[in-house]
Amino acid sequence: MSESTQVSDRTTTREQAPVRPGATKWRWAAAAALLAAAVYAPFQLVPFHVFQLTMVLIYAVALLGLNLLVGHAGQISLGHGAFFAVGAYTAAILLDRWDAPYPLTLPVAALVAFVLGLAFGVPAMRLRGLYLALVTLAIAIFLVPLLKRFEEVTGGSMGLSLAKPAPPAWTGLAEDQWLYFLALAVTVAAFLLAASLLRSRVGRALHAIRDNEAAAEVMGVRPAYYKTLAFAWSAMFAGIAGCVYTWVIGFVSPDSFVVNLSITLLAGLVVGGLGSLSGPVLGALFVMFVPSISQDINEAAPGVIFGLLIIAVMYVAPTGLAGLAGRATNSIKKTLRKG
Amino acid sequence: MAGFLQQVIVGLGTGAIYASLALALVLIYRFTGIVNFAQGELAMFSAYVAWQFTAVGVPFWLALVLALVVSFAGGMLIERVIIRPVEGAPELTVVIVTVGLFIFVNAAAGWIWTFLIKDFPNPFPGGALEMGGLSVGFGTLGVFAVVGIVMGLLYLLFQHTKIGLGMRAVSTNPESARLVGIRVGWTLALGWGLAATVGAVSGVLVAPLLFLEPNMMGGVLIYAFAAATLGGFDSPVGAVVGGLVVGVAETLAGAYVTAIGPDLKVGVPLAIILGVLLLRPQGLFGRAVVERA
Amino acid sequence: MSELAVHDLHAGYGGAQVLHGVSLTVAEGEICAILGPNGAGKTTLLRALSGMVKGRGSVKLDGAELLGRPPDALARLGVAHVPEGRGTFMPLTVEENLRLGAYVRRSGVEDDLERIYTYFPALKPRLKQAAGSLSGGEQQMLALGRALMLRPRLLLLDEPSLGLAPLITRELFHIVRTINEQERTTVVVVEQNAHLALGVAQQAHVLETGRIVLSGTAADIRADEQVAQSYLGYRV
Repeated sequence: MSESTQVSDRTTTREQAPVRPGATKWRWAAAAALLAAAVYAPFQLVPFHVFQLTMVLIYAVALLGLNLLVGHAGQISLGHGAFFAVGAYTAAILLDRWDAPYPLTLPVAALVAFVLGLAFGVPAMRLRGLYLALVTLAIAIFLVPLLKRFEEVTGGSMGLSLAKPAPPAWTGLAEDQWLYFLALAVTVAAFLLAASLLRSRVGRALHAIRDNEAAAEVMGVRPAYYKTLAFAWSAMFAGIAGCVYTWVIGFVSPDSFVVNLSITLLAGLVVGGLGSLSGPVLGALFVMFVPSISQDINEAAPGVIFGLLIIAVMYVAPTGLAGLAGRATNSIKKTLRKG
Repeated sequence: MAGFLQQVIVGLGTGAIYASLALALVLIYRFTGIVNFAQGELAMFSAYVAWQFTAVGVPFWLALVLALVVSFAGGMLIERVIIRPVEGAPELTVVIVTVGLFIFVNAAAGWIWTFLIKDFPNPFPGGALEMGGLSVGFGTLGVFAVVGIVMGLLYLLFQHTKIGLGMRAVSTNPESARLVGIRVGWTLALGWGLAATVGAVSGVLVAPLLFLEPNMMGGVLIYAFAAATLGGFDSPVGAVVGGLVVGVAETLAGAYVTAIGPDLKVGVPLAIILGVLLLRPQGLFGRAVVERA
Repeated sequence: MSELAVHDLHAGYGGAQVLHGVSLTVAEGEICAILGPNGAGKTTLLRALSGMVKGRGSVKLDGAELLGRPPDALARLGVAHVPEGRGTFMPLTVEENLRLGAYVRRSGVEDDLERIYTYFPALKPRLKQAAGSLSGGEQQMLALGRALMLRPRLLLLDEPSLGLAPLITRELFHIVRTINEQERTTVVVVEQNAHLALGVAQQAHVLETGRIVLSGTAADIRADEQVAQSYLGYRV
């Protein structure tokens, strides 16, 4: 029994340390430096690398949403790829059928994903987190044949090909650079939105539920309500990511959104770090680059690496890479102060 | 009418396979309170092990027995090495670990045996038993027989052996089980070994029907989850009944509801899971779930 | 049948120490009562004796060290613990519960089942019933019966009277006494109901905030004014 309490402590207390004023300053400086590097990067890289970084940004938004649910509300989704797909298809269909201006597709995709998240969250969230995992897995599996079925709208197995947003002449940017900056703008906005959500009353309620649901309930927090809300939001972020994906790729097809996407997203988030704001970025880098680098060894290598890493992370560092980095900087700072 | 009954028979045949995987899920859930998302992948891996034995010339039934033994040992090893460190951890942690296991086992099979499909020998003769205008494939009969035997053996083990009694004791009250002298850790490992063995049976039954490849069980798993949810996650009988119901429901929906058709059949388990959660969360045979604080 | 010697036992949960150096001996075949207020560490003491919590110091049964062994190993050494809440396997039948008590033994189980029925005739007609359907008193008898099926050298009882009617409790303690006399089992019993416990015990210890504050024969303790006021509810 003593074992169990020990383990539960590990996963429930993350990032709870009081933030010292100095640390906040450091954090802002790091974020600013990262942003500056992100703005500078596309002018230095070849188009393919710019494209890869754009994908990292898209994954980061999706992981940010998943992190709201898994890291902050303590619920699990094995089907976030489905909401990603919903966002992607919403944008694609708007562009394909109605020639909608592409900035409009973003709020619509977000809204559709949010509403769907709410619809599935209501039944699943009344029960234990486990059932949410089941329901979301089933949704992710079901979505692919569903997309194939409604061929006249979705383009069926062939998918839909679309024109990518063209860079306005005044920017002087190439297409890949323009897409990159669109994605960057959405990502930054998404991070600011998530950060303010988490700082609000709702964020505190979610943490209370994650850390001790019974206690939270006693304090008057309604777990089902907040968990459902968290699920809907996280679906919304996935939908936003999917929408940007459509802009960037200019093509959607059901086979881009098989259940593996959902599982890879979860894997990336766990490895990147649950419950922190930098976790999704690190996770997105992982989701993008681990497969492309390790695929040369063997087709199965990314899966082997991800699988082992997830298990290892849950044992030794439930806060993932972000948590490790945090711990490392803390111990470095301590050593520096001592010296 | 005959056509309808024919569809029911086909549904029962697939349902029996879902039942066997659901049974494996339920076994582990009863023992450890863990829903093992990697159960289908372990079954797939077991099927590959059986295939590997036949590929080097071992006769099918002997290869099956060897694969079951390997699966049993593998299940125990996984419990001792991978699951033990997170036993008693929050559900989220455990689910993520089994998802990690899912990804790993899937990829490992791809690494060892490639992602190309392999032809898996069908242990049952072709042809069918004809009676009263209905035909029951020998394959279907074989599946029934195998699943029936597995259930019978499990029943004997749990109800009529000391070790089975010990296992039930552990699943109802581990602390008290320890006090009467049961090695709880080993018993949990035994439970995983047993579940892996039962899962292996479903893998070997599925392989000849679907072709052997690393993603073979991905589709079956969700039906097994629906079966376990319908029957109640802590009820072995429920898993079997749930499996049969899901199999029949899926087949009938695919055959008779044109809006669903064969391509959208996979929506049936989703509908069943959602329906059960809304109407009777503990399932048909399960005990009501009491939320742990 | 065996002598228990506890020396300077420290135990607790995680960072919180509950026992701070408990020492006591129980002679072979004796009943020892542990008295004390809630939170004194009585249950922790029993849990340390049966390996459910880790402890420092020494706990010897016939000279063999018990500390550091897991509960299942101690059960094989003959330590039977009826825990707080009785530890009943609710969905299993009464008979299965009893058989589980003899899990570590190989022979003589059928004879012992008969022996249990003579102690607890009320259980016999309910053998095939789920243990969870028994009344509180019957469940306590079942728990005691389960412990006896081990043929224990050391029997640990945690609050056997908890939640039971006085009449049933008295009957239960009577049976504990009979068992102790017939089988020469060494017994440590933790009890809130000091009256009853002192009625069957040869010796007793009073535990307060993890330390033994008073020890003696049952008669001595009963005569002690302090104990009388605190635990017996009357003045001597």
